[in-house]
Amino acid sequence: MTAAEICTAVNGTIAVEVADAAATGVYVGDLLSDIMGHAGEDCALVTIQNHLNTIAVCTLVGCAVIVLCHNRPVPPDMAEAAAREGVAIVVTPLSQYAAARALSALPPAEH
Amino acid sequence: MKFDLHIHSCLSPCANLEMSPSEIVQRAVAAGMGGIALTDHQSARNTPAIAECARRAGLACLYGLEVCTAEEVHTLALFDTTEQALAMTDWVYAAMPKRVNDPETFGDQPVVTWDDDIVEMEWRILAMGCRKTIPEVSAKCHELGGIYLAAHIDRSAFSVYSQLGNIPSDGAFDAVEISRTADETIWLPKAEGYAVTRSSDAHNLDDVARVWTEADLPAFTTAALKAAFAARTTRPSPRLTTF
Repeated sequence: MTAAEICTAVNGTIAVEVADAAATGVYVGDLLSDIMGHAGEDCALVTIQNHLNTIAVCTLVGCAVIVLCHNRPVPPDMAEAAAREGVAIVVTPLSQYAAARALSALPPAEH
Repeated sequence: MKFDLHIHSCLSPCANLEMSPSEIVQRAVAAGMGGIALTDHQSARNTPAIAECARRAGLACLYGLEVCTAEEVHTLALFDTTEQALAMTDWVYAAMPKRVNDPETFGDQPVVTWDDDIVEMEWRILAMGCRKTIPEVSAKCHELGGIYLAAHIDRSAFSVYSQLGNIPSDGAFDAVEISRTADETIWLPKAEGYAVTRSSDAHNLDDVARVWTEADLPAFTTAALKAAFAARTTRPSPRLTTF
């Protein structure tokens, strides 16, 4: 699923656009240590963790799309890092569970 | 006495590389601080360097680290000696992921000497949390003779409020910290009876000692701070409203 398709599915808005960003699965998590330890490659990360370090963790695990829930704001330093590292950010009013349900066409991405 | 208990050096991946121990000490002295504490993320490996800088400048210094706990809450463990702080560091390191830091992703982590030579680059990812919980970190900090504070409780990430919704009331903390812009009319009531400090959390030189805490201390030691915390006599400086 492309970031644009994910955005539509979760009724969101694109906060950081990255050409060709896409995901083949979904991981839900808010603790960075948990995400780093368990999120699978090419996942869409459903989270409320609107912090610069989330981008660093996404680059480590190979995640190119973040779905930021509850319309959490994207801090400028997070947006800059995301654009630089090629991580698209979709902001949605949905909760983590609702966003995950909206993306149920994708399988769990974990290891 | 004014003091700033939360300052990062160049060892912290998110701190500016200009944050050498010698520059930090110079800025703190110029700002009229009676004492400072060095608190890098997960590590006290630059405390020997700042101890020497502080000794030469006649500045009182505490040695600590900002421990990111299993709950991903940022907390400050502060000690009177570098040996205690380095023992705490060893304990935290043993509970950290064994992944190697990528400086391009997280930032450089130089361990330096007092006169600004780089000894080595820390290889662990200091930006990540450890597997120890707040009660466990608190117990180890106190066992080693330190004091333990909840950092920037007003922040929307990596704070007791963001991660847990409240301040644990089990005596884990000796005091809490509010950040440089926190509105005290909101956050003093939310400190839930804990002594309140304000510190800079400086990641670049211009922020060192921009805010501080004041207290009448017989000496700048963890014991004196602990007594002031118990007596609730620490006074946070006014917040920053301009940048």
